[in-house]
Amino acid sequence: MEFIARWISRIFGWSLLFLSGFVALETVMRKAFNTSLQGADELGGYILAFGSSLAFVVTLAERAHIRIDILHKKFPLIVQSLVDWLSALSMALLGAFLLYVGWFVIIDTISYGSTAATPWATPLIWPQLAWYTALSVFSICAIVLSVRATWLFFSGRFPTLTAEFNPKGAADELAEELRDLRKREGKLHDDR
Amino acid sequence: MTIVDITIGFVVMMGLLFIGFPVAVVMVAMGVGGGMLLYGPVLLQSMGPVLWGVQNENVLTAIPLFILLGELLLRSGIADRMYGALALWLGRLPGGLLHTNIGCCALFAATSGSSVATAATVGTVALPALSERNYTPSRSLGSLAAGGTLGILIPPSVNLLVYGSLANVSVGQLFIAGIVPGILLTLSFMGFIALQHYWRSDDVILPDRASRTERIRALRHLMPPAVVFLIVMGSIYLGIATPTESAALAVIAALYFVWREGQLSFAFLDVCFRQTAKTTGMILLIIAAAFTLNVTLALGGITNAMSSWVGGLGLTATGLLFALMVFYLILGMFMDVLSMQVLTIPIAVPIVVAAGIDPIWFGIFVVLMSELGMITPPVGMNLYVVHGVRGDKGPFTDVIVGALPYAGIMLLFSVLLIMLPEIVMFLPESLAR
Repeated sequence: MEFIARWISRIFGWSLLFLSGFVALETVMRKAFNTSLQGADELGGYILAFGSSLAFVVTLAERAHIRIDILHKKFPLIVQSLVDWLSALSMALLGAFLLYVGWFVIIDTISYGSTAATPWATPLIWPQLAWYTALSVFSICAIVLSVRATWLFFSGRFPTLTAEFNPKGAADELAEELRDLRKREGKLHDDR
Repeated sequence: MTIVDITIGFVVMMGLLFIGFPVAVVMVAMGVGGGMLLYGPVLLQSMGPVLWGVQNENVLTAIPLFILLGELLLRSGIADRMYGALALWLGRLPGGLLHTNIGCCALFAATSGSSVATAATVGTVALPALSERNYTPSRSLGSLAAGGTLGILIPPSVNLLVYGSLANVSVGQLFIAGIVPGILLTLSFMGFIALQHYWRSDDVILPDRASRTERIRALRHLMPPAVVFLIVMGSIYLGIATPTESAALAVIAALYFVWREGQLSFAFLDVCFRQTAKTTGMILLIIAAAFTLNVTLALGGITNAMSSWVGGLGLTATGLLFALMVFYLILGMFMDVLSMQVLTIPIAVPIVVAAGIDPIWFGIFVVLMSELGMITPPVGMNLYVVHGVRGDKGPFTDVIVGALPYAGIMLLFSVLLIMLPEIVMFLPESLAR
């Protein structure tokens, strides 16, 4: 999971940098030279569709999909485990749901041979396939995690289950920020 | 759909949310469940194009770009050094370094979207200096917690982007509208610090007066955030770029600053990319979920039913806004900002628009209410973060007591915006002309 999350983040980040470069160039050329590369908007949309779907996986790996934990953290261990298990299951269901409704989009595009109403006239099936593939990766990861949660729940390993599946609270996030901050400070001192 | 059905649905949804199920899942489940009851499976087919439509929306591309921008400036340490530079300029005002807390958060806000990162960074730099100089803990902590909330009001703000997409209003106009209230609220905070100082001054050790050359030299640390802010807001205000394009330009500028600092490396980018992906995934999934729920809300006539029910109450526009203020104040005590926004905006915006309130103005109002939610206990994100940063293990009540006056200021400020909506509207309106 960690390996997947790392590479997805890289792909996501580099596509954003590429997009920034492309869009910046387009904007400058349009204003300064009155010519346009065209399609920056369109590309931005495709990168968001593909990239954000992939990013769902990173958020999943980081336990950062928002859950309200004000009551949850006060529940006894067994109830926390139950909710965590059901949440993991519900994430897998959500993944399956996204694939199910996304399929209607793919089918329509194939049957009408749709192209984008833009100067590029992109055959929509290509960006949509990329989007659908990314959603599939998310669904598979969510399903794998839900299987693990189910196994942990029914083998009664509640502490492990809650450790791996509890929502990340402000305290965890803060601890991460402070770790990163210390690393930065250390680096700045080294530089001096 | 009667108002009773809607209330039952709302209560069920809140129950599921507070048990601790993922917010996105609960919203989709309610949307699908409600849709199936009303229309049967045919509704599901219409959700596919909605999902693709949201994820393929160019306006929303600005979200990951602004997040990446904030990460680049934050993780390179450029932002950390702003504090020292600002302290030279603001540290000798009545109230001393507390002004630096607010100013630093406001500047930070102009570049970064994450309030945890903002409060953690500024807090870590500021708190040791403050306790060394004898500042009362509650005052230091309160100013940090309150300053940290400025980030979501001062543009570029991811929360304004989220509002824009859910309420279907221009993000550029929202950004422009956020400037004046953002500055005014910052100044109100600083004014309060000065008053606090004259009322009962802390016996603090003032820093030595820095020479003019020193102060001017320190300005270079403020350059990167200032340039980034000017690129974003300037290009939007002058009509050169859309918010997405301005974000792309700013990312390129930030890359240059990071490179000049000698921080640009693959390992550095990896950290930024990871954070950006995490936050983007979180925001986009919840937005996508909100839009699928909206299909049911809109087709099921729920939004209309709510609007006419509220219309039937015979409230004036002002009365309605005061009612919403109380509603958001209570909700904000228990819910995080993003969940609160995606859950309420789709219903609230049609209601207020029907009452003759401008949706741009309302966007600023909602974000202001969300800021309030960040410092109201029991679930005030910033209170916890600031408390977590402090080293002396003092009581949590210090933070709450310190932040309370700022919550009061925000409420008064909201009343001011209700009485004088021009504060929000005159800049975007001058742009429209």
